[in-house]
Amino acid sequence: MSDESDYYMDDSASDNYYDDDDDEMVDGTQDSDRESSPASEGEASDDDAFGVELSAAALGKVKRKSYEVNFETLSDAAVDRLMNKEAEHVAGIFGLEPSTALLLLRHMAWNKERLIEKYMDNPEAVRKDAGILAAPPLAPTSSSSSAGVRRSARRANSVQPSAPPSTPFMCPVCCDDEPPNTYALACGHAFCSTCWETYLHTKVREEGEFTVRCMDSDCKLLADDAFIARVCSKEDSKRHHELVSRNFVGNSSQYKFCPLPGCSYTISCPSAASKSSLMTIVPTVKCPENHVFCFGCSLDQDHRPLICHVSKLWLKKCQDDSETANWIKSNTKECTKCQSTIEKNGGCNHMTCKKCKNEFCWVCMGPWAEHGNAWYTCNRYEEREGVEARDAQSKSRASLERYLQYYNRWANHEQSARLSLDLYSKTEKKMEEMQTTSNLTWIEVQFARKAVDEVFKCRMTLKWTYAMAFYLAKGNEKELFEDNQRDLEKAVEDLSELLESPIDPDNIPVLRQKMTDKTVYVLKRNEILLDDTAQGYLDGRWKWNADAAILNEAE
Amino acid sequence: MADARTRRVKKEIQDIQNDRQAGLTIELVNDSIFHLIGSFPGPPGTCYEGGKFDVDIVVPETYPFVALKMKFLSKVYHPNISSASGAICLDILKDNWSPILTLKSTLISLQSLLCTPEPNDPQDAEVAKHYLTSKSSFEETARYWTETYARPQTNEGRGAPSGTSKTSHLPTVRDEVAMAGLERAHVEQFEALGFERGRVIEVLKRINYRGANVPKISEDTVVEELLK
Ligand SMILES: [Zn+2]
Ligand SMILES: [Zn+2]
Ligand SMILES: [Zn+2]
Ligand SMILES: [Zn+2]
Ligand SMILES: [Zn+2]
Ligand SMILES: [Zn+2]
Repeated sequence: MSDESDYYMDDSASDNYYDDDDDEMVDGTQDSDRESSPASEGEASDDDAFGVELSAAALGKVKRKSYEVNFETLSDAAVDRLMNKEAEHVAGIFGLEPSTALLLLRHMAWNKERLIEKYMDNPEAVRKDAGILAAPPLAPTSSSSSAGVRRSARRANSVQPSAPPSTPFMCPVCCDDEPPNTYALACGHAFCSTCWETYLHTKVREEGEFTVRCMDSDCKLLADDAFIARVCSKEDSKRHHELVSRNFVGNSSQYKFCPLPGCSYTISCPSAASKSSLMTIVPTVKCPENHVFCFGCSLDQDHRPLICHVSKLWLKKCQDDSETANWIKSNTKECTKCQSTIEKNGGCNHMTCKKCKNEFCWVCMGPWAEHGNAWYTCNRYEEREGVEARDAQSKSRASLERYLQYYNRWANHEQSARLSLDLYSKTEKKMEEMQTTSNLTWIEVQFARKAVDEVFKCRMTLKWTYAMAFYLAKGNEKELFEDNQRDLEKAVEDLSELLESPIDPDNIPVLRQKMTDKTVYVLKRNEILLDDTAQGYLDGRWKWNADAAILNEAE
Repeated sequence: MADARTRRVKKEIQDIQNDRQAGLTIELVNDSIFHLIGSFPGPPGTCYEGGKFDVDIVVPETYPFVALKMKFLSKVYHPNISSASGAICLDILKDNWSPILTLKSTLISLQSLLCTPEPNDPQDAEVAKHYLTSKSSFEETARYWTETYARPQTNEGRGAPSGTSKTSHLPTVRDEVAMAGLERAHVEQFEALGFERGRVIEVLKRINYRGANVPKISEDTVVEELLK
């Protein structure tokens, strides 16, 4: 996916951006990427706009746009530090080992306030519940003679490996009576090292579980991280650590994982951490792998300008209605008798095949004769709908058609955006040709690539504007929104057309000028639309129609 | 590890066979020590007394680090056991499994599960509702199920256990009304309105038409349900 959350004209500066220090928080990708202030974009129509490398430093920190959010990428080490900081905070308050505080925080799903409150109230109960307290004195058969166990039982759950007990010992799990090595938690329940290792492996690898308790059936004692790291293999220990930090990030509203499969970057976006903030902003963020996603709902795409709640409604609707939609969507069908293709024209459902004169109903594909005098509407459709769709009884044909109108445009932009990516590779070829046939430098032929990037980005915006328009209440505000939508759509179609036109090597300077102008215009239209919608959320200008009515009340 | 697993399971089987007092039995299915049928007597003083309950047991690859897979082969009327599939809702077979639990200790836990139903964490919601509405009626039904489905078998047909339920040996005539834990009079009342017996039983069972619920559910409501 191309980078689509930003609108600067040169991105060569950002390519290495994230590599500066693996171990530190990587700072504000957005601010420094947005070097194009409105002023600099006004000048972008200038012939040099695509060639000049604007450095973020030269422009200083530009105020971010109304539809953008500040965010930063956290490295694994940074996540660890945040996690440990929380643990140390709690440890400091109650005089605990940080490792114990960690276990308590995980037990409370990282709700620090609740933990503090409950711990103040009844520390013993919390410890017992979490599995921190050592169990009552050990059964005499287990290695009660181990001094190491006694010593460590003092505080945390951590443990020294207990020397094989002097009394005859048999591992209660594998029944081996001469294990080379045994371990026990502070409770003293000893098991052979092989069993511990296998147990931890099963928990961590197969069950994806990071909470590991003593193997004894009546003992709830938790193994702390140090014990796990000591006993299990390096890979399992690493996996355990991953599970632990996933749990930390997953339980916080301030941090989110990149939702793309296999990607493990963590993003922090404080301005979108509260649920209420998501009523007015669409926090689009990007991980260092250039995966664009929404911090609010973790959707793996930029769904600006539509806020998370309504986007979800729309996606749900598309899913629920897809069967019905696909069924009616296509505007051609095959004659039920002779299979020749018939195109529907106008709104009449009474179809007559030109070839065989077969008369049938467009909606249900049944013979027209059976429709009797219900010629204006297809009852059989209503029937069918009643069976098929969940809320079909209340759904009128009209509202379905309304939905389809928006849906078709949504789907068209989605499809065209994908096609524009195909165009991308063609464009690359063209650029190579241009470079060889003209005296242009590499940087000078970037204009076509920029154009494709921009088309993709704006089609994504347009796609979501149709979902938004579907839910906007009728009125002046919606009309203004649709004006912006229309302007952007027209600009995008113009630029797309130009991109697909043949390249005449003699005319490159002219084409370049033209394409550059149009790209800048498209970019500007997109910005206007996004800025206006973002502003509209803040001003409370957007009112939703009955399909999203819950949201009006929530305001 | 495979050796350790074999060693342990063999020892566990022996433990059960050596301890005649507990009344547990264990048999191999298809000569595999990893697929077994265990059984235990219904606990005395309960509505399961006198029954012999068969349990299908699969020993997973990673045993004993993960729980034994168990389900009842005998049909049991109990809130935490599915009356249809025999699936069991018991913490030690899930999150609270511990590697030191064994075939024997788990079978004993199942036995004690029969003594202590947990209707608030049900596996079979209909049975649980019945239990909560009228314990005596529930017990009567559970006793009827025990007599019908969990009769101790003589050793015939035991040579080659197939893993299938013993229900095939059952008497064919069963009292559907008693099986469902309903009142004969209630079933007949709606049958008289022209509804089929099977349908009446199904609906009355679902809406828990028992004990104190009966005066709260109007005849019309029942008819509406029957017509659905
Ligand atoms: Zn062992
Ligand atoms: Zn223990
Ligand atoms: Zn990513
Ligand atoms: Zn979102
Ligand atoms: Zn035809
Ligand atoms: Zn029709």
